[in-house]
Amino acid sequence: MGKKILRINMTDLKATYEDVPEEWARWGGRGLTSSIVCDEVDPTCHPLGPNNKLVFAPGWVTGTPAAPSSGRTSFGGKSPLTGGIKESNAGGMSGQKLAKLGLHAVIVEGMPKDKKWYYLVITKDGVTFEAADKLMGKGMYDVDVILGEKYPKTAIIGIGQAGEMKLSNAGISVNDPENKPGRYAGRGGLGAVMGVRGVKAIVIDDTGGEGVAIANEELMKKGRKALTAAIREHALTKKDGGLNAYGTAILVNILNEAGGLPTRNFSAGHFEGAAKISGEAMAEAIEKRGAGTMGHGCHPGCIIQCSNIFPDEDGNELVSVIEYETTWALGANCGIDDLDYVAHATYECNDIGLDTIEAGNTIAMAMEGGLLEFGDAKGAIKLFDEIRKGTPLGRILGQGVVATAKAFGVHRVPTVKGQSMPAYEPRAVKGIGVTYATTPMGADHTAGYTIAPEIAGVGGKVDPLSNEGKGELSLAFQATTAYIDSTGYCLFIAFPILDIAEGFAGMVESVAGVTGIEMTGDDVVPLGKEILKKERLFNEAAGFTALDDRPPEFMREEKLPPHNEVWTITDEALDEVYGWVHAD
Amino acid sequence: MADAVNKKETITVDVLLYGPIAAYGGGTHIAEVKMTMPQGVLFRDVLSQLGIPAEAKGYVFINAVLCDAPGLNASEQLQIQADDHIGIFSGTHMWPYQYRDGVRMSDELQAVLREKGAMHHSYESVAQDE
Repeated sequence: MGKKILRINMTDLKATYEDVPEEWARWGGRGLTSSIVCDEVDPTCHPLGPNNKLVFAPGWVTGTPAAPSSGRTSFGGKSPLTGGIKESNAGGMSGQKLAKLGLHAVIVEGMPKDKKWYYLVITKDGVTFEAADKLMGKGMYDVDVILGEKYPKTAIIGIGQAGEMKLSNAGISVNDPENKPGRYAGRGGLGAVMGVRGVKAIVIDDTGGEGVAIANEELMKKGRKALTAAIREHALTKKDGGLNAYGTAILVNILNEAGGLPTRNFSAGHFEGAAKISGEAMAEAIEKRGAGTMGHGCHPGCIIQCSNIFPDEDGNELVSVIEYETTWALGANCGIDDLDYVAHATYECNDIGLDTIEAGNTIAMAMEGGLLEFGDAKGAIKLFDEIRKGTPLGRILGQGVVATAKAFGVHRVPTVKGQSMPAYEPRAVKGIGVTYATTPMGADHTAGYTIAPEIAGVGGKVDPLSNEGKGELSLAFQATTAYIDSTGYCLFIAFPILDIAEGFAGMVESVAGVTGIEMTGDDVVPLGKEILKKERLFNEAAGFTALDDRPPEFMREEKLPPHNEVWTITDEALDEVYGWVHAD
Repeated sequence: MADAVNKKETITVDVLLYGPIAAYGGGTHIAEVKMTMPQGVLFRDVLSQLGIPAEAKGYVFINAVLCDAPGLNASEQLQIQADDHIGIFSGTHMWPYQYRDGVRMSDELQAVLREKGAMHHSYESVAQDE
C-alpha cells in the first residue's frame, strides 16, 4: 500500500492513515519530523497546549534488511524546555517496527476530552486506544514489564512520572532488546508533549508488517556493504574498538586530561575523580563483578554496540546505559566520583523518565544554590524521590536547570535557549561552543557531529587554533548532522565515514537505494541546510532572535581552570553561522 | 651528601595510562605510575622506560596541554619537567573533531597540524603519509 502517515487524534480517539504528501515523502527521521512540525504546529503555541503535536518517524533506511546501526527513531515537537523546535532521537526497538509497518511518520495531536490517560497499540490493522489506569504513576521499568508481558516482542514507547507531570525535563523512553527502558529521546521535554496528549505509552507490534520497500536494491546493497566494511574496519567502531570496549564514556578521561570536562557546575575543567567514573572504570568494574557487559547493542542490527549494562555492587545487572554525558552530568558536574551512585542515579532517570544531562545539570545547580553540597551523593539520590513524588521541590527540579537556578538564586546558568550544556566546556573547547550557541535545538552536543572539515565541504585547511572559520565549520557540522539524523543511522557512523571515503559514499548510496531519491555526497550539506533552515525559521516565528544565540554571560567573564580561559568568540561570528538563512 | 646530589638530579612525574596500554603500567584499563627520572628527560624516554612502543600511543597530554595525536609524532622530543602530569591514551581512544577543536595544544603539535591541516580521525592514513 506504500508508506502512510498515521495521524492519531486524541481528542476524538481516532486514527487515520493518510497518503504521504510530496514534500514529506522526500524526508525521513529528523528532516521529516521537523518538516511536519513546521507545517502543522503554530510556532507561537504553548508547548503544553492543544496546538502542539508529537511527531515521530523512522529514518530513511531504518527497517531495511541489514542496514547497519540504523534503528533510530526521531521524535519532534515544540519543546517545553526551549520554546523552540525540537528533534530528539533514540535507539531501541521502535524505529525498525514503525518502518516495517509501512509508517512514514506518526502524528499524535489533540487532547482527550475525558482527560483520561491511554496507551496506544499500533499494529498492521490499525490503532487501539486502551485505558492506561494500571500504568499511571508507574516508572518505565514497571511499564515495560507490564506491557511487555501483554504484548511480547513489541516496541514500547513511554513516559515515566515526569511525563505524567508534564515536566520540562521529561523524556520519551524506548525499550531496548531486553525490554528495559534506557533509550531516551531525552532532550527538550518531549515526554511532557506526549503527556499532555494523554498518552502514557505506545506499543508497536510489527507482526505481519509489509516491510520497507527498496527502490534500488542493487544500489542499497552496494552502499550498505561499503558502510558496513567501514564500520568494521575503523579503530573506533570495529569490534573491540574504542566504543565497543569502553562505550561513549571513553571520553571522560580524554576531556579531563584536556581540561575540558565541566566540573562542579562548570566552575572548572578538570575533575580529580574523573577516572573513577570513566568508561575504563566501568569496564574494570564489570570484569571484577562478573556481571553486566560492555559492548551491548541498543537495537537489533547494531554492529558498533557502544552501550553497556552495568551491575550493582552485588553483581546484579542494574542499568543500561551509562553514557559519557550521563556519567559526566551526574558525576563530575556534581563533584561525585562514585560510579555506583552514577549507576543508581541513571536508573532513577530511566525510570522517572528524565534526560540525564538536564537532570545532572539540575542537581549541580541545586548544589550551587546551597540545597546540598557538591559531592553529596546520598543527598543527590534523594532528589530523585522528590521528583518522582511530585513534591514542590521535585517539580522545580523536574523543570530543569533554568527553573532551578531561579528558585535558588543562581546566576551561573550553563544553558543556551533554556537547555543545559552537555559535557564539553566551551571555554576550553571553543569549537563546540559555537554549535551550542547557534543550533536551533539549544545547547546540544549532537547538533554538530564529527565530520572533518575536508569532508564536510568547508575545504582548505582550517586552523584549529584560531577563532577564524569556526562559524563556517560549525554550520557544516550542523548540516551534516541534520542529514545523518534523517537517515536513521546512528550518529556514530560519522567516525568511520570520516576516515574511509568509501564508507561516506556508502551511507549516501544506501539512502539513495532505499528511497529512490537521487543524491550523492555533494548533496549531504545542502540537504542538511534545508532542514536547518526550516528549524531556524520556526524558532524565529516563535520569537527567537540573534540574542538567543549566545553562550551564558558568566562564561565571558569567569576564567575556567586549569587553562584560565574565557569565551572569546565574538557575537558577530556567531551571527554569521545562520546569516545565510535570509540571504539565500 | 651523595643522596642530596642524586635528589637534585632526578625528577618525579605522574603518568596515567588509559586503555590497553595500561598494561605497561601494571593495570588493566587504567594505570597510574609515579616515575622518578633524570632531569632533562624527554617524553620518548618516558615511553621507553615504561616499555610503550611509540606506535601504541594515541593522544598525549602534558599538564592538560594536548601534545600529540594518534598517527602523529609531535611529542617525543618534549622535555619533561618535575611534577609534570602526563596522560597517555591508547590509539583506539576516540575524540571527535568538534569536541577537540580549539583545545590548548603544544607548540610542537601546532606546528605539525599547521603542516598537515586540521586534526581529523585519519589515524592510519596520517601515519602512512609520514
